[in-house]
Amino acid sequence: MNSNIFAIVDATFKDNLEQLTLHRMPGALPFAGKYRLIDFTLSNMRNSEITNVAIFPYGNYRSLQDHVGSGKRWGLDRRRDGLFILPPKNLYIPPDEMITFQRMSEHIEFFKRSSQDYAVITPASIVWNIDFQDCLNEHLKSKADITEIMYQNIRLKTFIISKKLLLDYILTYDSQEYRTMLELVEKSPNLKIHIYKHQNYTRTITDTFNYLKSNLDMLRFNIGVTIFKEDRPIYSKEKTAPPTRYLENAVIDNSMISSGSVIDGTVINSVIARDVIVKKGATIKNSFVMSNCVIEEGSILNFTILDKQTIVKKDTHIEGILTSPYVTQKEQIVSSFENLKVLLVASESYPFIKTGGLADVIGSLSRNLVRQGIDATVILPLYKKIKTTFFESLKYQFAKTIIYGKERYKVRIYKYRYKKVRYYFVDSFDFLDTEDVYGYENDTDRFAFFNKVVVELLDDLDPFDLVHVNDWHTALIPILIDNSKHKGLKTLLTIHNIDYQGIGESDIIKKLNISDFVFKDETINFLEIGINTASKLSTVSPTYKEELKYEYYGKNLTYSLLNREREFYGILNGISTSFNPLTDKSIKTNYSIDNIELKIENKLFLQEKMGLEVNKDKFVIGMVSRIVEQKGFDLILNSFDELLENKNIQFVLLGAGDVKYISELEKLAKRYPNQIKLNIGYDATNPNYIYSGADVFLMPSRFEPCGLGQMIALKYGTLPLVRRTGGLNDTVFKYDPLTKKGNGFTFNNYDANEMKNVIISAYNLFCENKEDWNRLIYRAMKSDNSLVKSTHKYIEFYNGIKKN
Amino acid sequence: MVLVGGRGRRLKRITKSTAKPAVNFGGKYRLIDFVLSNLSNSGISTIGLITQYEPYQLLSYIEHGSTWDLDVNEGGISFLTPYTSISGELWQKGTAHAINQHFRFIDLYNPEYVLILSGDHIYKMDYNPMIEHHIQNKSDITIATFKVDNDPSRFGILEMDDASRIISFEEKPENPKSDLASMGIYVFNKKVLKELLDNSDENFDFGKDIIPLGLREKLNVFAYKFPGYFRDVGTVNSLYRANMELLDSPQYLKLQDYADFPIFTKSVNLPPHHIIHSEKVINSLISDGCLIFGQIIHSILSSGVVVKEDTIIKDTIIHPNVKIGENCYIEKAIIVEGSVILSGTTLKFDEVTVVDNEYLWKLGENNE
Repeated sequence: MNSNIFAIVDATFKDNLEQLTLHRMPGALPFAGKYRLIDFTLSNMRNSEITNVAIFPYGNYRSLQDHVGSGKRWGLDRRRDGLFILPPKNLYIPPDEMITFQRMSEHIEFFKRSSQDYAVITPASIVWNIDFQDCLNEHLKSKADITEIMYQNIRLKTFIISKKLLLDYILTYDSQEYRTMLELVEKSPNLKIHIYKHQNYTRTITDTFNYLKSNLDMLRFNIGVTIFKEDRPIYSKEKTAPPTRYLENAVIDNSMISSGSVIDGTVINSVIARDVIVKKGATIKNSFVMSNCVIEEGSILNFTILDKQTIVKKDTHIEGILTSPYVTQKEQIVSSFENLKVLLVASESYPFIKTGGLADVIGSLSRNLVRQGIDATVILPLYKKIKTTFFESLKYQFAKTIIYGKERYKVRIYKYRYKKVRYYFVDSFDFLDTEDVYGYENDTDRFAFFNKVVVELLDDLDPFDLVHVNDWHTALIPILIDNSKHKGLKTLLTIHNIDYQGIGESDIIKKLNISDFVFKDETINFLEIGINTASKLSTVSPTYKEELKYEYYGKNLTYSLLNREREFYGILNGISTSFNPLTDKSIKTNYSIDNIELKIENKLFLQEKMGLEVNKDKFVIGMVSRIVEQKGFDLILNSFDELLENKNIQFVLLGAGDVKYISELEKLAKRYPNQIKLNIGYDATNPNYIYSGADVFLMPSRFEPCGLGQMIALKYGTLPLVRRTGGLNDTVFKYDPLTKKGNGFTFNNYDANEMKNVIISAYNLFCENKEDWNRLIYRAMKSDNSLVKSTHKYIEFYNGIKKN
Repeated sequence: MVLVGGRGRRLKRITKSTAKPAVNFGGKYRLIDFVLSNLSNSGISTIGLITQYEPYQLLSYIEHGSTWDLDVNEGGISFLTPYTSISGELWQKGTAHAINQHFRFIDLYNPEYVLILSGDHIYKMDYNPMIEHHIQNKSDITIATFKVDNDPSRFGILEMDDASRIISFEEKPENPKSDLASMGIYVFNKKVLKELLDNSDENFDFGKDIIPLGLREKLNVFAYKFPGYFRDVGTVNSLYRANMELLDSPQYLKLQDYADFPIFTKSVNLPPHHIIHSEKVINSLISDGCLIFGQIIHSILSSGVVVKEDTIIKDTIIHPNVKIGENCYIEKAIIVEGSVILSGTTLKFDEVTVVDNEYLWKLGENNE
C-alpha cells in the first residue's frame, strides 16, 4: 500500500559546514563511509512507502542531482508520482532558516497535483531512521492541525500537515505574517500543534562538530543498530569498489572502513570512506576520512575531517578537537606546517593606525598567528600619524627606487617588531606621508603605488608561503605578483566590506607596467581586479559570504564573486579574551557565568551614569555603533515613537557618525527625555558600561559583514537583538520558546515593524519569565567567539592555499 | 552469446543450489560479473545469456542488467532458457548445441560477428582488440588464447604459425603440443557459424566438434593472444587459488584500480564493515556489512559476515552472511553462503575444504 503522505524535502537552507559545503549542499555530504546525508531522508521515505517526493534545493545542487538521479534506489522512478527536483524560480534570494511558503508557491502545481492528503516537510540533512507512517497515525489520533517532530529537545524542522491546510498557507503566503512552518507553529494561536517525540538516535548536521560526532556515533554499536536496521535499510547510490584490503601492518580498533580502501596503518575509532589509502605507520584517530584520500607514512590525525581526495604527506600531524575538528578542503595536500610564513598587507593595523574594524582584525590576527607558531609579517604604509607616535622605535632598513608611470620614486623601509610580529613600514614622501589614511583625491594612485612597493619588496625579504591582502587598498597585489618574477606565489584576498572598491583611472595599469590587461571600462575597480586574480577569496563571516552572491549585498561585484564561488570562504572574526566581565576593570561590578545576578549592579550604574531612572525593572536597550545608514537607524527612527509609549523601556546609544541621523535621533530623544540618552562622539561614556549594563544590545543592521558589538555583548551577557544578516546570523541564535535554546533575539526583514515586534516580545519575556531570561544570559555568556577559534580557521585555510 | 549453463560439478557443495556463474568470488563478486563487466566495458550491449542449470538465483541477480549498464533500449540482456521445439529436443547437450538451439535469437539481430563467451572465468578483457584482430585477418573463426602455467591437459591446446593461424587444436590432450590454451572465447563470422552448426553431425561442443570441423574444412582459424590475467575456476582448488591470488598477487587482476575498467557487481544495502575490536586483521579482504571481533589472517570475507570474539580465521574464504561464533579456529576452508558456525568449533584442514550447513550438521552429529 502506498502511503497517503507526499514529501517535501527541504534542502533550501544551508548550515555552515565551512569548506565542506563550499561546493555541495549539506544534503550531499558524505556520511558513514558510503552514504550521503540525503540517503537517510530518502530511505525513510521508501521505508514509509512514500512515493511522491519533491526536493527543493538551494544554490548549486549538481552533486545532489548527480547522487539521487531518477530516485530509483529509493523506489521513486515511477510512472505515477516519483521524485521531483524543484529549483528556485528566483536565484537572487539568500537562503532562509527553512523552506518558505513563498518558495513552495513557486511550484504550486506539485502541491495541487499530489493525490495524497498529507504532507511531510523534512530537511535533507538529518541522520535518523524514522517511520513517517507512525507520525501520521499519531497526527490523526491527536486531531492536531500540525504535528511537529522532535527528538529530545531538538527541533528537526520536520512537520506533518494536511495538504488542504498547507495549500491554504501557500496560496495566501503574501498576506500572511508566517513565512515558514517554524513561524506558523510559533505564532499562530488558533492552530492545534502536536509534538511527536521520535525515540531513536537522531542528529541534525548543523556544523562540523555535529557532522564528525554523528559519524563517530555510528561506531557505537547500540546507536549503529538503530540507524542501520535490517528491516528498514538505508539505501544509497550503487558504486563499484572491491572489498577493503588489509595489508601486513594494519591495526584496527572500533572503526568502519568502506570498500576499495587499502589499509596498512593504524585506524582507531574512525570512519573511512571508499578508496582511501592508509600507508604503513600512519595513525588515524577519531576522524572521518572521505573517499580517495591518501594518508602517507608516519602521519598522525586526530579529530579531523578530510574532504575527498585530500593527501596527507609523510609525517604530518593534524590535530583538531571534537567541538572544532580540523577540516581539509577537497583535493588539498596537507604537509607539516610548523614554519608557515605569511605576509599580511593592509592599509591599517592596530595599534599603529586605526580608522575602523580592519585595523583590529589585522592587528589581532597577526598577533594570534604568531602565538600559534606561524611566522607572520605585516607591511603597512608609514603615515604621518604612525611617524609621530612610533618613529623613535622604528628601525631604518634600506631605501628602494620604484618606477611608477614615467617617474622614479624613492621609498624608505622601516622595521619594527610588535609582540613578535614583524612589521615593515613603507615611507614615501610622494604618496604615503599623509595626515589621514584615506580621503585624498589620489587615493587610488597612492595605494596602487603602495601595492607596487610591496611586490618589489618581495625581492628583498625572505620568501613567503602566502600573501594575505585585505580590501581594495591592497587588491592589486595578486595581479602585480602574477606580472613579477614571484608569479605562482599564492594570494588570499579578504573582503571586509564590499562597499569600498577603489575606482581609479585606467592608466594606473600602465603606470604599474602590467601587460595584457583587458579593460572593460574607462576606469578600473581595484577590488574587482583582486577578486579576479587572487588565488583564494574570503570574507569575514559565512553568512556574509553567502549574501554577497546576491545583488542586494554583492552589488556590482556579484557576478565576479559568483565566478569564484568555489574559492570563496567565510571566516568569522573573533574577539580578544580581554573582553571579560570578570576581569574588566572599567565596569562597576565584575561578574561571571557563576554569578549572573551581579550583572544588575552594572545596569543600575549605567542608569545612574546616564541620568535615567534607576530601576532594575526598566528594560534597557543599549547600542554602541557608528551612526550610519548601514547600522539600521532608519528602523529605529521609524518605530521608536510607538515603542517608547511603553514607559518601562529605556534606550542608551553611544556612537558618532552621520549628522543627518544624529539630528533626527536628537529630535527623538527630545520627545522622550526620560527614556532616551544619547552619547554622541565616542568618548562620552565607556562603551563597556553599555555592554555590561544594558538588558539587550540592539544591532538592526541592514548588512553586517561580521560585527563585533554583538560578540562583546554576548560575552557580557547582554542579549543581542539583531537582524539576521552577515556575521550577526552566525553568532546570534534566536530564543526558541519551545526548546528554551538561543542566545538572543533576531528578526528577518529590514522592516521597522518586525524589529519593533521582536523588541516587544523580548520585553515581554524579560518581564514575565525571568527563568528563561537568565538561561538566555547563561547561554549568551557561553558562546565562543574567541580570536583563537578564528585564528585556527585562518591557519586551516592558509594551509589549504599555500603551494605544496 | 554467453554460456552460463554449466553445472560445475567439480565445485562440489558450492554449486549445490546455484549455477556456477553465480558462485561468489573475491568477497563481493560473482563469477558472472566478470564477463558482463567485460562486455559493458567493451561497449557490447546485445547479449544472449544461455542458462540451463538452477537459473533462478542468476536470473534474480542479473535482473535487467542495470548493474552493468546493460539495461539499454535496443538489445540488452536476453535470458535464453531451454525450450521445446518441433524436433522435441530440450536439454542442451553441449556448448555448440546450446548456441544452435538459440540461433533464432542471433538471427533476430542479424550481426556480422558473433562473440561466444563463458560465464565462469576470471579475467578483465576488452573484446574489441580481438574483434579487430579477427577483422584484420579476414578470419572465419578467432580463438582467444592464454599461456597455461601448469597442467595444460585441462584445456584445449592449440598450435599456431607465425601469422597466428591455427594449425592444430586438441581438446584436453594427454601430451600437449604447446602451452597455448583456448580460453573458450570465440569470434565467428555469423555465416560461418551457421554453416558449421548445420553441417556438423555432432555439433555438441565447440572445443570437441566445431573447431576441429572448421580446421578440417580449411577455414581461416586464427588465434588471438590475450596478454592479461585469466583463470578458469572450474574446481574447488582453482577457485581457492584464484581467490588467494587477490591477496598474494594483487597485481594480477588489479581489482583496486577499477577506475578505467571496473568490474561491476550488484551491491548490497549494507553499511561499511565495522571492526569493533580485533587484535589482528592482516592480509585480508573484508566486505560491507561485516562485524568483526576476532582475528582475520590471510582470508577473504564476503558481505554480512559476523566473526565473534576470540575466533581466528586463517587462509579461509567466507561467502556472504556466514555467522561464526566465539572461540572458533578456522583454517583453509571455503565456507558457503548462510552457514552458521557455533562457538568453539575448530575447522582446520590441510586440503581446501568446502563447508556448508549440511557439513556442519554432520560434524555436530559425529561429535555427539
